[in-house]
Amino acid sequence: MISNPTAPSAVKILVAGGFGVGKTTLVGAVSEVTPLRTEEYLTTASVGVDDLAGVSAKETTTVALDFGRITVSDELVVYLFGTPGQERFWFMWNDLVHGALGGVVIADTRRLETSFASIDFFESREIPFVVAINCFHGQNTRTADEIRAALDLDPHVPLLIGDVRQRSFGKESLLALVDHLMSLPAPA
Amino acid sequence: MTPGWDPEDLPEDAYEDASGTMVRPYTVTRGRTAPERDDLTLITVLTTVEEPLDEFGRPLRPQRLQPEHRLILDSCRRPLALAEVAAALGLPVSVTKILLGDLVGLGLLTARAPLSVARAAGGARHDLLAAVRDGIRRL
Repeated sequence: MISNPTAPSAVKILVAGGFGVGKTTLVGAVSEVTPLRTEEYLTTASVGVDDLAGVSAKETTTVALDFGRITVSDELVVYLFGTPGQERFWFMWNDLVHGALGGVVIADTRRLETSFASIDFFESREIPFVVAINCFHGQNTRTADEIRAALDLDPHVPLLIGDVRQRSFGKESLLALVDHLMSLPAPA
Repeated sequence: MTPGWDPEDLPEDAYEDASGTMVRPYTVTRGRTAPERDDLTLITVLTTVEEPLDEFGRPLRPQRLQPEHRLILDSCRRPLALAEVAAALGLPVSVTKILLGDLVGLGLLTARAPLSVARAAGGARHDLLAAVRDGIRRL
């Protein structure tokens, strides 16, 4: 490949969480551009229960990605990718994690279980992450300790509580992720 | 009819397109469904070569480019990530990869791979993280 040393380098941060939890909202709150949308086709062996013949059919699904960007300098751009809702497709999508510094998992205290798959994904891929609890309208009836217990979070994983519509909370979440990355020991 | 081939063998939905679009997306790639290179990622940064030269150092005059190819060359005068090109063209990532691969192969576009930050490969460098932190703080 012809390399171009004058083009900026890119890294990405993944923003994950269940459907409707505020992924694109957070991306939009911190991105310098209105979030863009692109699609990808993913093909997987179908695990359908209606497959009576026992023949593994192929299933193609279109997944949508919303993303934004933060230009750090002429040499460096950070892309923020909101992961698509159907977590079962992420595992076959290596490109999704390529160049990923880490992740922000957004969770909603009224339905924490929708974030389990995102947490599992980052843990299994050894991608560092923080958890951002989105309190719609400032409503939160649970303590951070209760949420940690419910999500079965490792004690060292940062947990933040706020409103993803606020740019300040998006910034705080991303900074918590970078601080977390800087605090990690080098892998053995 | 090809011997041994029976259209009745096809499942009923063989002709349906899951995306629901009327124009088949791989039309613009002339039926190719896989890129010739596998090193293009969502955040590979692409830049149009200003005055492309061929292998003998003569100005390159690309022939037979499709409109999508020309759109890409216009867009990437300013460096853009592959995902941004796909969004601008309104094409799926996999289709965009094929078109970008054509242009990289012709020497009309340069590609810069993402930085290596995988934990297994040693993780992100401290100075990179410090730069990212400064960039976020400036938001």
